[in-house]
Amino acid sequence: MAYVKVKRRELTFAERMYLPAIMKGMALTFKHFVGVGGRKGVTLQYPDEKWELPAFYRGVPSLVKDTAGREKCVACSLCEFVCPPRAISIIPREIEGVVEKAPEVFDIDMLRCIFCGYCEEVCPEEAIFMSKEYEVCGETREELVFDKTRLYEIGSTLGPDGGTPDAEKKWERLSREQSAQGLGED
Amino acid sequence: MSMVKLTIDGCEVEVQPGSTVIQAVRAMGADVPHYCWHPGLSVSGNCRICLVEVEGMPTVQISCNLGVRDGMVVHTQSAKARAARKDVMELLLINHPLDCPICDQAGECKLQEYSFEFGSDGSRFAFPKVHKQKHVRFSEKVTFDAERCILCTRCVRFLDEVAGADELDIVNRGDRNEIAVARGGELESPYQMNVIDVCPVGALTSTDFRFKSRVWFLKQTRSVCPGCSRGCNVTVGARWNRLLRLVPAENAAVNRWWMCDDGRFTYKAVAAGERLGAPLVRRGGALEETTWDEALAAAVDGLRKCGVDLVGVISARLTNEEIHLAASVLDEVGARARGHVSRTCAQDDLLRTGDGNPNAAGAALMGVPAGVPSLDGAKGAFLCGDDLDGDAAALAALDGLEFVLYAGTHETATMRRAHVVLPGVTSFEKDGSFTNVDGRVQRVQSVVAAPGDALPDWK
Repeated sequence: MAYVKVKRRELTFAERMYLPAIMKGMALTFKHFVGVGGRKGVTLQYPDEKWELPAFYRGVPSLVKDTAGREKCVACSLCEFVCPPRAISIIPREIEGVVEKAPEVFDIDMLRCIFCGYCEEVCPEEAIFMSKEYEVCGETREELVFDKTRLYEIGSTLGPDGGTPDAEKKWERLSREQSAQGLGED
Repeated sequence: MSMVKLTIDGCEVEVQPGSTVIQAVRAMGADVPHYCWHPGLSVSGNCRICLVEVEGMPTVQISCNLGVRDGMVVHTQSAKARAARKDVMELLLINHPLDCPICDQAGECKLQEYSFEFGSDGSRFAFPKVHKQKHVRFSEKVTFDAERCILCTRCVRFLDEVAGADELDIVNRGDRNEIAVARGGELESPYQMNVIDVCPVGALTSTDFRFKSRVWFLKQTRSVCPGCSRGCNVTVGARWNRLLRLVPAENAAVNRWWMCDDGRFTYKAVAAGERLGAPLVRRGGALEETTWDEALAAAVDGLRKCGVDLVGVISARLTNEEIHLAASVLDEVGARARGHVSRTCAQDDLLRTGDGNPNAAGAALMGVPAGVPSLDGAKGAFLCGDDLDGDAAALAALDGLEFVLYAGTHETATMRRAHVVLPGVTSFEKDGSFTNVDGRVQRVQSVVAAPGDALPDWK
């Protein structure tokens, strides 16, 4: 590769002085300071004031129930598998009804979670959603392993079905289809 | 007999006359997708996924039931064959429920695999799917889901041809076809859990393993079943340092593709009862936890004192290496008798040998015969891997001995009579080898970590 020597422009005297540039910067700072031209303070008085979060914000992952209050999660463990920092651990259990499986234990270690949102993306049941909750603090490590109860609590702030209710519920659809064909619930 | 020469995907292959095309393809190291065909079962030819293109034949052919012919030219990956398989996939999936998130087979499901390879991303079937019974109990070991079944009849043929128990069949007609237990009862065959393994989809699942863990999380290790002297090759699945299941591993010379149900549950003994986690030495009447150094010193001391009046019981459940070392300890001390506790288990012509010791042949070869030697007149006993809990007279005799050294895995009545206790590990926690009933030496591998300070007996 051949070299191309770039010739730099020589600075003018004023530029070499630096002072005009400094004055320009100070003037802008002063304008913000006194609020000239409708400019207001940008500081948010947290925690009295809170940031209005954009719709795409990814906060603490949370679990949601459907409009009938049933667990949507079927413990398929795809989120556990996809989770890059391995923050999720699930132990499944068998339940009665048309949906045969639910989580017995569903823990998310918030010290590990990197808020990537893969769990939400991979979930086939739309049971896990990234909430708008971002204040995660605790005094011990154990406190920051969020269990199922805590995750449903956070999820309840999103509303049933994560705020986007399904027109047709899985449980109802399965029960209806099965009973239409003369099969019991089991 | 002269071999048959044919060309598959441009490669020349020689196979035995009478072979089928799928066997020829597998002989050259490749494979054709298949559901109903199983190397250990008869040809059924109903799933139609193994279609291949054969030059000179007007339509695609099922490779599982097509005999090889000299000069045959087969294309397994041609556009025509692949398109035909794609159509078969679509038909198979018409009524298949979207159960993958709750289905235990997910991850080792042939439907998933071939769907990934040939399937389309959606269904063109606009009508409601046919629903069938889910969660049907076939027996306490096997759970059936009729919706997921693709009616390949592998389970029917396995029980009929291999297990010799004609217990399953297909009932109803058309899209109501279902597998059902014959005569409305439950499965009774001692080999019934093999139907779970032969099932290419999630229709037959193990009630024991059901929902325990997704299979892709399992740490899978090749080992040998400790249930009997057959030494069936197994793949052990473990997670969270816990054993979760045993499935047979293919070994044409030992167990082929099968294993018995009793063998599958041998893993349960590992976590059952109280495991020994630290060496114990009897001080003033009670067993106290101590270090390995102290316990071994006490053991050596005790064994030396007994000398020729020592009787050795070396378990045939130990590995060859452990038996050899334990036997050398007895040789060193000059013990007067040795033997191992005989164990029986169910016996049949298929796999189960009736001898419950996995390494009985190895023990016999190393001079440890079956049967516990008499403790009359003995001063001490070295119990390595075996306990005498099943024998009240021998157990009582232990009370009268001056020194009892017990090396074992669990807390037992025998262990409570010992003077020195060395914690051992089960065959799932150590490396070594078993010699099976036919004299075949097979490797055992550790799967999970042993509790506490327990060490394999050879350490």
